[in-house]
Amino acid sequence: MMVPSWILDIFAAVMLVVAGVSAGRLAAGRAGSRFRPDADIDAAHVLMGIAMAGMLASSLRTLPNAVWIAVFAVVTVWFTWRVSAEVRTQGAAALGTGHHLPHLVHGTAMVYMFAAVTTAAHGSGMGMSGMAAGSAGMGTLKVPTLGLAFILFMVAWAVWDLDQIGNARLHARGRLPRLSVSPQPAAALAVAGPAASVLTSAGSATRHAASATAVTASGATAGEPASTSSVSTTEGTEAGPLLDPRVAVACRIAMGITMAFMLAIML
Amino acid sequence: MVSDSTALAGGLRASARSTPDAAARAQFPDARRWLQLGLAAIWLLDGILQFQSFMFTNGFSQMLAGTAPGNPAVIADPINWTSRLITDHPVATNTTFAAIQVLLGLGIGNRRTVKVALAASIAWALGVWWFGEGLGGILSGSASPVNGAPGAVIIYALLAVLLWPVAGDQDDAHPAPFVAARPVGPALAKAAWLILWGSLAYFAVTAANRTAQGLHDMVAGMASGEPGWLAAVNRAAASLLNNHGLTASIILAVLLAVIAVGVFLPVSLARATIILAIVLALAIWIAGQDLGTILAGGATDPNSGLLLALLAAAYWPAARRPALTPETQGELE
Repeated sequence: MMVPSWILDIFAAVMLVVAGVSAGRLAAGRAGSRFRPDADIDAAHVLMGIAMAGMLASSLRTLPNAVWIAVFAVVTVWFTWRVSAEVRTQGAAALGTGHHLPHLVHGTAMVYMFAAVTTAAHGSGMGMSGMAAGSAGMGTLKVPTLGLAFILFMVAWAVWDLDQIGNARLHARGRLPRLSVSPQPAAALAVAGPAASVLTSAGSATRHAASATAVTASGATAGEPASTSSVSTTEGTEAGPLLDPRVAVACRIAMGITMAFMLAIML
Repeated sequence: MVSDSTALAGGLRASARSTPDAAARAQFPDARRWLQLGLAAIWLLDGILQFQSFMFTNGFSQMLAGTAPGNPAVIADPINWTSRLITDHPVATNTTFAAIQVLLGLGIGNRRTVKVALAASIAWALGVWWFGEGLGGILSGSASPVNGAPGAVIIYALLAVLLWPVAGDQDDAHPAPFVAARPVGPALAKAAWLILWGSLAYFAVTAANRTAQGLHDMVAGMASGEPGWLAAVNRAAASLLNNHGLTASIILAVLLAVIAVGVFLPVSLARATIILAIVLALAIWIAGQDLGTILAGGATDPNSGLLLALLAAAYWPAARRPALTPETQGELE
């Protein structure tokens, strides 16, 4: 027996939701002809969501495998450049901050899945590229050790993201250590950058200022220009909940778990 | 401009760095939280593996039924009943199993639900240990540290207990000597360690495991269906064990016994035995358990080696840290 099709359909539906939400984020975050700096991540989520939905449910298939391989090869190269840029500016520690690295791995895994499944589909005489072959337990993935490595990465990063989302909620609920409030919260926000951004999307202005002050006082800034950081802090509130950072992370969690699922049933 | 993901991850780190010690401890994962996240990841992996096509076949229920023989009737009968239930309703039961395990992983991964999920994981693990693993073969004489005794899933339950987030465990006046001691105290935690590793030492020299070819056959039999590199590891390990079953069993039992008493030794020796435990667990996991046979298909979990290594990390003697000042104590409240 193969994996029941309705289970594949559920995962496919989740991927379509991720693609839709990411497309919405792209549109909501656009200012004139300019996109947000993280638009590449949302764009990658749109592409991956559509591609994975097509792998999971044949009725949702859009492009030939070869085209998807080319698309995700470009995505992989792009995020390789992004990660290397992060490492150049922030050092090797940037790999652990969870920004572009997971997207690089996701892109690579997509190339791997399409390449491996294509081979299997030819070998088995099946036209369908996706789960039909894999879910039958036919061992369609070449180099399964690589597949397992991807699975472990996806699972580990999904759990890490979950932990960070929970942590952000602790921020929002004010269950953090009491900190002194800056007399000039706006200035502090501008310097605080990332901390201010996540809190702006999550909670009250008082807490934003408090945390931002703490960051400023410690000198732990992200090295971002004050003006651009200030723009970022307004995104979550003025453009609606769609641009909440947690939405992007939730999409990444769903993407990672679904990808791990797909790889597992093709091992 | 600051990006979303950086905002989430970087922001938390930045805030954690903002006040020395206290805030960092409150926000950034401490050692116990890291171990909880490891447990969460393994539960999530289990759930995902449970979705594999093999689990929807009768092969899965037969695999469970295969753990019944050799057990007392009171243990075996419920296993057989469960197996029949799964045979009759493979999709419904297996989907439920997979969903539960995924939810356990997600629940432990989220700080708001970690207690509920850990409690649920204990109940679930105990059920699986009985109905799915036949108590790890400890009553049937088939248990071996190499094949996963005393049952991988019971280690999940033990980890859930030892990693339980208890109130007041930031008490620096009486810091726990290691993570696993926080919820139950050092004495009980050490007793659990002694029982677990001591039982593994015993299983290593049971009749079935000390025969000349017992370990050899067990390891050699793992190679089937594995990728080339892992099969090569199996063959190499099997050739080392060939006709040396008794010697290998005794050496393994001695090492496991040393590990069992290691946590009672002074810190430096305890650390050495913890390292030995992790190395041995990972060696067994790779060469003896083939990463839980995940790559061969049909694995429901990564087996015990990885769990034993995670457990050992929970016993790593903690470094002494300076007591909180009144100011930093106040920030934590």
